[in-house]
Amino acid sequence: MPDWTPVALLRDLPPLVVMPVTVDGVDLALWRSASGRIAAWADRCPHRGMRLSHGFVRGEALSCIYHGWSYAQSGQCQRIPAHPDLEPPEAIRVPVHHATEAGGVIWVALDTVTTAPPALAGVQPLRSVTLDARFDPASAGLTESGGAWRGTLGGVAVAVLVQPLPDNRCALHVLAESKASPTDLVAASRGIETLRRQAEGVSA
Amino acid sequence: MILYDYALSPDCYKIRLLAALTGAKLTLRAVDFHPGGEHRSPAFLAINPGGTIPVMQDGTLTLTDSAAILTFVAAKSGPAWLGDDSPEMRARVAQWLAFAQRLSASIGKARTHDMLQKPADIVACRKAGVQCLREIEAALVERHLTGDAFLAGNRPTLADIACFPHSMLAPDGGISVDPYPAIRLWTRSVRALPGFIEMPGIHRLHDLKPEPVGVPE
Repeated sequence: MPDWTPVALLRDLPPLVVMPVTVDGVDLALWRSASGRIAAWADRCPHRGMRLSHGFVRGEALSCIYHGWSYAQSGQCQRIPAHPDLEPPEAIRVPVHHATEAGGVIWVALDTVTTAPPALAGVQPLRSVTLDARFDPASAGLTESGGAWRGTLGGVAVAVLVQPLPDNRCALHVLAESKASPTDLVAASRGIETLRRQAEGVSA
Repeated sequence: MILYDYALSPDCYKIRLLAALTGAKLTLRAVDFHPGGEHRSPAFLAINPGGTIPVMQDGTLTLTDSAAILTFVAAKSGPAWLGDDSPEMRARVAQWLAFAQRLSASIGKARTHDMLQKPADIVACRKAGVQCLREIEAALVERHLTGDAFLAGNRPTLADIACFPHSMLAPDGGISVDPYPAIRLWTRSVRALPGFIEMPGIHRLHDLKPEPVGVPE
C-alpha cells in the first residue's frame, strides 16, 4: 500500500471549502482554511457523529453543521456555541491524518509517512472524475512512469493518478501537459468522458 | 404575480429564488401537494388542467411550465438573467432550461419516490440522474477552462437557477453529489449570490455569516 493517496486537485479545494473523500475505505473530511492550510480529518463530529464534510470553514477552524461545534487545526474542539463560556475538554478531538499538496494534487496518508508524494513535472491539473467501475490503466493504453500513468486523451499528453474507492469504484485525477491550450484541455476533458464510458462498459 | 407554491418542490423554489434575486414581488398560494394531493383537486385543475406545480398567474396570463415562469419573472424584473449577452449565451440558457426537465424527470422523481413514496422506477431514475449530474459537471469544467464560472457564461443566468436546485437535492433521492467537484464550487457560487434564499435541503453558506455571539441567558 503506498503511503500517499491522491484525493483531489488543489483547484477543486479553494480556501473555505470542505469536501468528503475516501482513503483506504476510511471516510474523511478534506478542508482548506482561510489561510490555505489543507487538512484531512475523520469525517465524523465527536459530538453526534454528523459528517464534518457537511460542515463549514470559518477562518482556521472547521465547524459541524449540526450544532456548530468548531475544531482547530489540531482537531481539538475549540468552541461549543450552546456553551459559549465552556472551554471544551481536551478529549473532544477529531482524529487528524496527513494531508499535503504537491504539483497541484492533494495527497492524504492515514498513518505513518516515510516518503514524499511524487512530484509530477511538466503538467497542469485538469479535472477529477469518479468511475463506477474498476480501472485498468494498461488496457486504456496508459503506461506507468514517474509515479503516474501516462498516455494521451483527446490528443493531449496526460498524467493520470488513480484513487481506489469502495464498491469497485475509483477516482481519476488527471493532469495535462503544461503547454496544452484551453481548447486542448476541453478535448482532453472529453477524452476523459470517453475513457469513463469505456471503463464502465457503456460503449466499446 | 401569484405563485401556486409548494415548499418542498425544487421547481417552485426556482421561482422563489429568482424572485428573491431580482427583487420581484410574489404572492404565494400554498398548494397542499403532499399529503393532501390538492394539485388534483377540481379547484386546482380549473387553474391548471395538467395538475402540476408551479403555476403562475399574472392578470389574465397563466403559466404552468417552470422554464416559462422563470423567463417571465426575469423579463419583468431582471432581464440580465435571460442571458442575452450573445447568441451563444442565449442559446445555452435555452438549452439548460430544457435540460432542467431531464433533472425533474430523473432526480426529481427519485426524490419524490424516496421522500413522498410516489411510484417510480427508482433504479432507472437514479441512473438517469447520475448521467445528468455528469453532464453538468463536464459542462462546468469546460466553462471553467474557457474562463467562465457559470453554466451559460461569465455571470449567473436562468440556466443556473433552473439546474441548481435538483443538483443540490439529489441526495434526497439517493444520488450522491460527492463525485462532482465543479458542481460543488458552482453551487457555492450560486449560494453566495446577494439575495439568495434557502429551501429545506439547500442551506446558505454559513462561512459567509459572522460568527454568532453567545446566546443571552
